[in-house]
Amino acid sequence: MRKNLVWYILFFTIAVIYPHFVDPSWVDIGTTFALYSVVALSQDIVLGKAGMFDMGHATFFGIGAYTAAILNTVYNIPIIYTIPIAIALSALFGIIISWPIIHLRGDYLLVATIGFNIIFYQALQNNLFGLTGGPNGIFGIGAPVIFGINISSQRAIYYFAWFILLITMLIIYNIDKSKLGRAFHYLRESEIAAESFGVNKRFYKVLAFALGAGVASLAGVIFAVQYAAVSPETFNFTQSVLFFTIVIVGGPSSIPGILLGTFVMFVVPQFFREFATARYFVFGIAMILTMILRPQGIWPAKFGKLPKYLTKES
Amino acid sequence: MEIFLQQIVNGLAIGSIYALVAIGYTMVYGVMKLINFAHGDLVALAAYVGLTVLMQAFGMHLSNLWAVILMFTVTAMFISLFGIILERLAYRPLRKAPRLSAVVSALGASLAIENGIMLIWGPNIKVFPSNIFPSTRWHISGVVINSTQIAILLLSIILMIALYIFINRTKIGTAIRASAIDQDAAKLMGINVNGIIIAIFALGSFLGSIGGLFIGIYYRELYFQMGWIYGLNAFIAAIIGGIGNIPGAMLGGMLLGIFNVLIAGYVSNTWSEALTFALLIIILIIKPTGILGERVAEKV
Repeated sequence: MRKNLVWYILFFTIAVIYPHFVDPSWVDIGTTFALYSVVALSQDIVLGKAGMFDMGHATFFGIGAYTAAILNTVYNIPIIYTIPIAIALSALFGIIISWPIIHLRGDYLLVATIGFNIIFYQALQNNLFGLTGGPNGIFGIGAPVIFGINISSQRAIYYFAWFILLITMLIIYNIDKSKLGRAFHYLRESEIAAESFGVNKRFYKVLAFALGAGVASLAGVIFAVQYAAVSPETFNFTQSVLFFTIVIVGGPSSIPGILLGTFVMFVVPQFFREFATARYFVFGIAMILTMILRPQGIWPAKFGKLPKYLTKES
Repeated sequence: MEIFLQQIVNGLAIGSIYALVAIGYTMVYGVMKLINFAHGDLVALAAYVGLTVLMQAFGMHLSNLWAVILMFTVTAMFISLFGIILERLAYRPLRKAPRLSAVVSALGASLAIENGIMLIWGPNIKVFPSNIFPSTRWHISGVVINSTQIAILLLSIILMIALYIFINRTKIGTAIRASAIDQDAAKLMGINVNGIIIAIFALGSFLGSIGGLFIGIYYRELYFQMGWIYGLNAFIAAIIGGIGNIPGAMLGGMLLGIFNVLIAGYVSNTWSEALTFALLIIILIIKPTGILGERVAEKV
């Protein structure tokens, strides 16, 4: 644990000094990396920890971004107050969406979540209730003000996004160490065994969706602030596929794995921008090769270690 | 009423295309429990290959009929081979891996094929020639049916009947059904499961390639991302019918084709995809195994 802590401190130190050495477009990429990592970690609560095949997570990311955008531009509510509303709304949606489909097994659940993502996307495109702005989206989203500090400069948003990532990692760490994380773990390994241990299956599965949805929408709010605009394309089903792939390629329920996965799936393609036409062809083949060489993910999570107080001789 | 019947006829033509593609999904899922996300892009690839073959055939001054026959045979052979190679390279190494790793591999294959099409044929829309089938139309009590629709319906029905007989009456078909029920038991009975999986990919890709060519002939516009949309629709058709169940895929395809056309005709064009998925979710909630799927008891 102490060794891990050193690595995390190093990771965040690099993140803190990073924007002072690169040009502005790479600061933006750093911000988006942090936000995508948050979404991928929230996806992992559902997919990696609770073991439910969710391929529609961009929906919750989008609910966060659009809630903040609509409340801010139409009702003039400051961004900072839209954050709790967005999280609550998204978690509520997570519960409403997952409640009727939670009993579906494996691939059926995957398809149902794809379905919700496509319904959400088409609702945005068709300017639902005249609020979502249609295919162009919403422009002119304001910046949050915290303790009198206006978070509008590029660097301020960058640090804010990384702060959110830090908080998310702490949340995930705490889930892992708590009753909640153990319940998810049981459910993933064997639902019947978990039920016989007294784990309420439906409650914990819906809770996983609600948690994942809430955290993803938090990232969505900051994402809307970063670009001062939201548009349907960013919350398309293909984005859900990206988050899904990040978790599986990186290593399900492994925090370093998911950070690495986000780096590989989102940052690495940015290096090859000049090969725009060929890069996704190569990328697809790289995905196949990665899975063949590392079927458990690049940095898989380790389980099965007994806690110290059990192995220590007394 | 006439408009309604016209919609049904159009829906059946589209539905039989979905059915052909859906069979590929359902057969692979039945035996391997894998959603082959690359199948839709294979269908798109078939349309592009078919167009190229057709242009070459016209370049050689072949008559219309021979050019079409050449297009169907060459494309079907090429895509079947492609399906077999895809399975060998992208799926077989992952047979023992966690299931989602194979799904990601399929997504990677889909991405590679889609962008491979763009690299070879370019990002612009390609258009199929309109004079492939004679432009004869039949008027039956106010309903107009053109020769393309007749050809699609007839050929699809012939292929599906042939497949049904193949699956239910031949030795290989029995082996395929056995592998779908229990792979390990099938191995113990002396069935070469690897060979069965190759056969499934060849068959599925073959039917998918016919579906892709029909898409080209019927809709005429080809773009490199089209595999996703048709693939997703066909996959929904497979689930509606009961995934793993071949007659189910046929039924699901037809129903979905009619549903799509009716929605576009009577409700709204801009909400069609959302409504298709809403239908799917409702069916999943009411009957998770699809219309013809059998209920599988949970093993303890």
